[in-house]
Amino acid sequence: MPNQPDLHLWLILFFPLLGALINGTIGRRFSKGLIGSIAIGSVALSFLWVVRSLSELGQLDAPHIERYFNWITSGDLKVGFDLSVDRLSSIMLLVVTGVGTLIHVYAVGYMDHEEGFWRFFSYLNLFMFFMLILVLAQNFLLLFVGWEGVGLCSYLLIGFYFLEKYAGDAAKKAFIVNRIGDFGFSLAMLLLVVSFGSLDMTTVFEAAKKLPVESSVGVLTTIALLLLVGACGKSAQVPLYVWLPDAMAGPTPVSALIHAATMVTAGVYVVARSSEIFLKAPIAMEVVAVIGLVTAVVAALIGTAQNDIKKVFAYSTVSQLGYMFVGLGVGAFSAGIFHVVTHAFFKALLFLGAGSVIHALHGEQDLSNMGGLKSKIPITYWTLLTGAVAIAGVWPFAGFHSKDAILLAAHAHAPWMYWVGVVTAGLTAFYVFRAIFLCFFGEYRGKANPHESPAIMYMPLVILALLSVAGGYLPVMDWLAPLYPVHEHPHDMTLIGISLGFAFAGIFAAYYVYVLNPGSADGYAKSLGGVYRAIAGKFYVDEAYDAAIVHPLEHGSRTVLLNGVEQIVVQGGVSGTVGVARWMGGLFRLMQGGNIRSYAVYALLGAIIFLGVMASSGGAR
Amino acid sequence: MYLLVALFLPLVGFLACMTLLRKARQTAYTAALASAGIAFLASLAMVPEVMQNPTRVSQALAVNWIPYPPIHFSIGADGLSLWLIAATTLLSLIAILTASKRDPQFLAWLLLLEVGIVGVFSSQDLFLFFVFFELTLVPTLFLMGQYGKDSGKTTSNAATIKFFVYTFAGSVLMLAAITYLFLKAGTFDYQNILLQVQAGSFRLSPAEQMPLFLAFFLAFAVKTPLFPFHAWQADAYTTAPSPLGIVMAGLMGKLGTYGLLRFCLPLFPNAARECAGWINGLAILAILYGALVAIVQPNIKRLLAFSSLSHLGFIVLGIFSFHINGLDGAAYQMVCHAITTGGLFVLAGVLEERKGSCEISAFGGLASRTPWLATTFLVAALASSGLPSLNNFVGEYLILQGAAFAGFAYAAAAAVGVILSAVYLLWMYQRTFLGPNPAEDTKDLSNQEALAIAPLILLMIWMGVNSGSFLPVQSAVNQKILQQSKMNVEFRVAAPVAEAIHGN
Amino acid sequence: MGTNMIPTGDELLRFLPEMILAVFAVLVMLWESRHDEHGERRGMPMFTLIGLALAAVATVVAGSYQGLAFSNMIVVDSFTTFFRLLVLAIAALAVLTASPFLRERKAEGGEFYSLMLLSLIGQSLMAASNELMMVFIGIEISSISSYVLAGYLRDDKRANESALKYFLLGSFATGFLLYGISWTYGLTGTTNLNEIAAILGNSDIAPDKVLTSAAAALILAGLCFKVSAFPFQSWAPDVYQGAATPVGAFLSAAPKAAAFATLLRVFFTAFEPMSDRWLPLLTAVALLTMIVGNLAALWQSDVKRILGYSSIANAGYVLVAVAAHSTLGVSAVLFYLAAYSAMNVGAFAVVSMREQTELSDFNGLAKRQPLTAALMTVFMSSLIGLPLTAGFFGKFYIFQSAIDSEMYWLAGIGLLTSAVAAFYYLRVIKAMYMEPVADDAPELAVPASSLQAVLFVSAAVTIGFGIFPGWLLDWATRSSGLLR
Repeated sequence: MPNQPDLHLWLILFFPLLGALINGTIGRRFSKGLIGSIAIGSVALSFLWVVRSLSELGQLDAPHIERYFNWITSGDLKVGFDLSVDRLSSIMLLVVTGVGTLIHVYAVGYMDHEEGFWRFFSYLNLFMFFMLILVLAQNFLLLFVGWEGVGLCSYLLIGFYFLEKYAGDAAKKAFIVNRIGDFGFSLAMLLLVVSFGSLDMTTVFEAAKKLPVESSVGVLTTIALLLLVGACGKSAQVPLYVWLPDAMAGPTPVSALIHAATMVTAGVYVVARSSEIFLKAPIAMEVVAVIGLVTAVVAALIGTAQNDIKKVFAYSTVSQLGYMFVGLGVGAFSAGIFHVVTHAFFKALLFLGAGSVIHALHGEQDLSNMGGLKSKIPITYWTLLTGAVAIAGVWPFAGFHSKDAILLAAHAHAPWMYWVGVVTAGLTAFYVFRAIFLCFFGEYRGKANPHESPAIMYMPLVILALLSVAGGYLPVMDWLAPLYPVHEHPHDMTLIGISLGFAFAGIFAAYYVYVLNPGSADGYAKSLGGVYRAIAGKFYVDEAYDAAIVHPLEHGSRTVLLNGVEQIVVQGGVSGTVGVARWMGGLFRLMQGGNIRSYAVYALLGAIIFLGVMASSGGAR
Repeated sequence: MYLLVALFLPLVGFLACMTLLRKARQTAYTAALASAGIAFLASLAMVPEVMQNPTRVSQALAVNWIPYPPIHFSIGADGLSLWLIAATTLLSLIAILTASKRDPQFLAWLLLLEVGIVGVFSSQDLFLFFVFFELTLVPTLFLMGQYGKDSGKTTSNAATIKFFVYTFAGSVLMLAAITYLFLKAGTFDYQNILLQVQAGSFRLSPAEQMPLFLAFFLAFAVKTPLFPFHAWQADAYTTAPSPLGIVMAGLMGKLGTYGLLRFCLPLFPNAARECAGWINGLAILAILYGALVAIVQPNIKRLLAFSSLSHLGFIVLGIFSFHINGLDGAAYQMVCHAITTGGLFVLAGVLEERKGSCEISAFGGLASRTPWLATTFLVAALASSGLPSLNNFVGEYLILQGAAFAGFAYAAAAAVGVILSAVYLLWMYQRTFLGPNPAEDTKDLSNQEALAIAPLILLMIWMGVNSGSFLPVQSAVNQKILQQSKMNVEFRVAAPVAEAIHGN
Repeated sequence: MGTNMIPTGDELLRFLPEMILAVFAVLVMLWESRHDEHGERRGMPMFTLIGLALAAVATVVAGSYQGLAFSNMIVVDSFTTFFRLLVLAIAALAVLTASPFLRERKAEGGEFYSLMLLSLIGQSLMAASNELMMVFIGIEISSISSYVLAGYLRDDKRANESALKYFLLGSFATGFLLYGISWTYGLTGTTNLNEIAAILGNSDIAPDKVLTSAAAALILAGLCFKVSAFPFQSWAPDVYQGAATPVGAFLSAAPKAAAFATLLRVFFTAFEPMSDRWLPLLTAVALLTMIVGNLAALWQSDVKRILGYSSIANAGYVLVAVAAHSTLGVSAVLFYLAAYSAMNVGAFAVVSMREQTELSDFNGLAKRQPLTAALMTVFMSSLIGLPLTAGFFGKFYIFQSAIDSEMYWLAGIGLLTSAVAAFYYLRVIKAMYMEPVADDAPELAVPASSLQAVLFVSAAVTIGFGIFPGWLLDWATRSSGLLR
């Protein structure tokens, strides 16, 4: 790149990595204060470095690329350790480092009583490192490093309470389901190289732009769909969403940072990054939208029947990610990313708030053991409420702007999508407020005596609350506009009105059921009967997967392969050969009966055979 | 020059431990460590020379050994053998380091094994290659037979005999093939033969190539092992004493894959290409089969055996992709897998030493008791499961890339193995290290054990982050091999995009 | 044709080794007459060795006066010299093995040594014979004394049985041989190998092919019996197992080597012209012999018997080289026979130290007699054909010659059977190194110094020619100029 300032982008990665290394190796000897300040400091530094770099870069009309060293060179294929910032990644950078910093601050308070404080923060920093690689990567392979790296950290952090079996299981599940997604992603990379001979994003996208549609639609669609598989894994879309709810086994700050604000949006980011490819593969786009929509609905439905406050928010995350995919699928990439940003604010807020509640109740997560906390932990209540309003999509809160951007685009693309989306919005409002009401209104149903969290925990809440209020006015979409083709759809007030209406309807329904006449919920549940049971049972997807995939795989490997092929074919082949050899040997051994007469007979026969053979052979001459 | 040290110093060590020091345990241990250590340094000292011109074999010694047939004791190293030799000397050193409690004979056999393997990687004379190839059997025989421990139903004696006879039987036909080559080309000198091929003065008709190729292939397929020739592997890995396990799992298989890459492609291009189809099929079977069976293994070493079966399948797939990426991946993966599996076996040995067995059910919740053991094990396991930024990923990615060029279906099928590798490795890790605290206390890594595993962990990261310091020399040789494998062969390469569209 | 009946000095010189052996045989007998019953015979082994040494010297001297003798009845060429020295060496090792063995059993007697010397006369005649009658005489001298040797331990039932078997079957085979010889004489009017070749080679005067080939077949049968080739191999294991171990060592090496010498000499000169008829047969025999010997050995649990079968299998390998029907092949035969003799005698020598020879009797030998076990391992490795042993190069040269003659299948299958062989040789190593010592295992005496000498010499030869086969191969090649 000609005369570009060298901004040492690598520093953005370096700070968290350093923090991780320090805490990870010698951290256990440090005081919690020191560990905390190292962790926070490293992330804050990279945040500052992001801000500095971006201010240096200004308008960023062309991506800023910095190439460091060759990672892999084989034949014509060259993959370097190249970082780049463009308008898209700049936003992600700010969100990741910014929200990341806040959550680190919060976590220092939250994890105060936990074992392995040092381990936790070294993992958390390591996560930041990989997440930033993911965002900054200039080629797909490097992006894949971050991609799998965050998966690893998520594995480590979900399994943080590894003494508990469920934590280990959840962690493994998360990693493996992600691996299934990564399978798609890596195939996409292979195909990219086969068709474009490179993994460098600029090169690939340029090439993709140039490719004539008719000849290339097949391969581009394949690539796009494979990328989508990867995205579905990371961003917990149907059918690979199952790991995210379980991932709540991890400490709450983890859920906030990784499983709400940053990592799970990686899939959205990758699709948005690869827009050039997706735009050339309309079928793939359609698939993206549909998957997003299905995910949004399914997750929202399940969310209405969860009693673990974190699970509720987890499903709402899945559902919101679905919204983002709808945005991408209908071509409103910037809207999708915008929702990523606002969602990062209010969902992080919701989780941290939930964490604050749990902290207040000494680890209690079950909504049915809460209630009436409004007065006991006011700050948490107000901030959490802000988040709820924001996610419900009430004007002028952040959620409203991004969600309506998506819905409008959806309507322009296909009205039915809009309607489904709006209904889902209503559901979202309903179950989020259901959680709020069950938690803060009515009588306290638990035993512990709640106490407000320390400042180090509620300060981040407050900041995030402010962002959830005002975040909607960030000019994200204008900033992204140049990257994507513009859709001109009228700012239709009726549509907006309708969606607002659904939002309020949802809120009111929740208020009616859980505040005006508490206890009535079970009645409605009964009246719904099987439907409710299906919802409460999460549509038995996990069970289905176990029955359809996990069990057959394990059982098949044991019975068919290990006890079948291995014993019969592989080992049997060997022992069979040996057996035959021994058997033949046995036959010859019969000649050695020790009986001299038979020996003589053999000799005689042999002589006769000799005579016969030689007398007859070579008669030609 | 340094190669001679790497080859003969362990031999001296072997003789010393067998004769003078057979009673003096401590001295023998020190001597063994010293000889292996210096051998390792020597193998590193070779690097600059080879780096200068990786495709040229930097000859260390070429003397007439036997007048007729003219067999030369001719050893040298090029870019392909360089890192394999280094890995051999390193793993042998580590194996010896972990064998501090063993008697001098044990150490002696380990050293002889090192000699054999280094010899295989550095022979420039086909006959000499065969001699070293077979020579590796002898120390293995005694190490397994005398020091192996039974595991469940499999007795170490049975495993030993099976290993020996199976691999021996596999390789005898190769001797016939080598002899045939000699009688045709008038020399055993490999480079010389290749030159003759280049000059066209020596040419094997496809009809000739096929049986010769198969003879070579069988020997290497059994040694590697490639599905379904792996009957000896699991038993051998499980019953072998841990230090031997390190070398065996880390390097023995490479003798096979190295042979495939080094000899089969350049010598028998037609046959190799003709067979590539079903060989790749076997490789993919190995990948998936090994991984699936590994999932249900109750014993860490058995599990690692099947995981090796799977990973070695990748290497074979890369070689027979006939694409530079595949070859590079294979060559790189040979070294990476040596490092990673070697490391895993070091740690398995530690676990076995702690609990007296490698049955996974014997463990659980160790993470809190032995954080360092757990961490290193996790790193090695993740490396083995192909986590980017660790070594195996580079190799496996390149292999898959090469396979994708050869046929997208190959890559797709093989990539499933990557998913499964995560399944069985993480499951093993979870059942071994996670979960509730065990009642009794378990020692974390001792300094000695830490010293043994540390270099491997570092290499896993280094090789994963910066393949630039290892891959180029291999790649250069692979380019040459690929050229040779195209020599007087007619074949076509489909246009990449077209192939991608209807890949399978 | 030399017409004068009085042999010249050169002729006598060429016959000198046999004469020396005969003299010593008689002297030993006379010496023996001074003892009444069996017991220790001080100095007698040494005396025999001196005889062997002198014979060896004489052989070398004679070797430098190459040529025919006694009106072309015997021929001394490098081929003859090689085999004469080979059998002498084997005999020397056998004597050294035998004397401690016999002393231990209070059975040492002069006739043993003189019998050995006598049979050597026969074998070295076989190597030198240029004439079918001479062949017959040589074989008979060798065999008859061998029969007696096999039954030397009079009080041992199995020794007697083995002697009887050996004798009956041996004479049976000699019958074939003699019959074949007479046919040949009848058909060609001569018993001189070169003249037979000349006649058979000249299509104008050549007798009927079918008849000649029948004659050749009978002779081949007789010789195949002597080398214990299929289907005439049955006697070998019984005899080697039954006979006293040192005798087994001797019988499985020396007479065999001599028989191969004869086989080569007769068929590569006399019946060379009709090689197209006997080569296919010989190839088949080689193949079957390897298979039968190796596979049948899988069942054995007695080390002596294993060695017996292994001797069959090894005869098969050698036959492969014979069937290769080339100078390369002949030199391979010579090399292999030398190598085989060393490792085989070594193995038998180790066995001779044991009263019981079941595999289980060797359990844990490595812990009790590490050195002996190590040496036995050397011999076994060589028999398996592991690199850096004489056996390895022997096999390599054999199969090289086969491949050179484009007998790929023969070479391939042969190599595979040799891999099978690894299995039963390994069982010996396994017993010594991997099995625990039995509780009721008898005390082991320190091997006698002469025995140690045998072990070290044969091990040295096995390994020496395993690392530097060049010299031996040169010699073998120089001595292989049969095919002209």
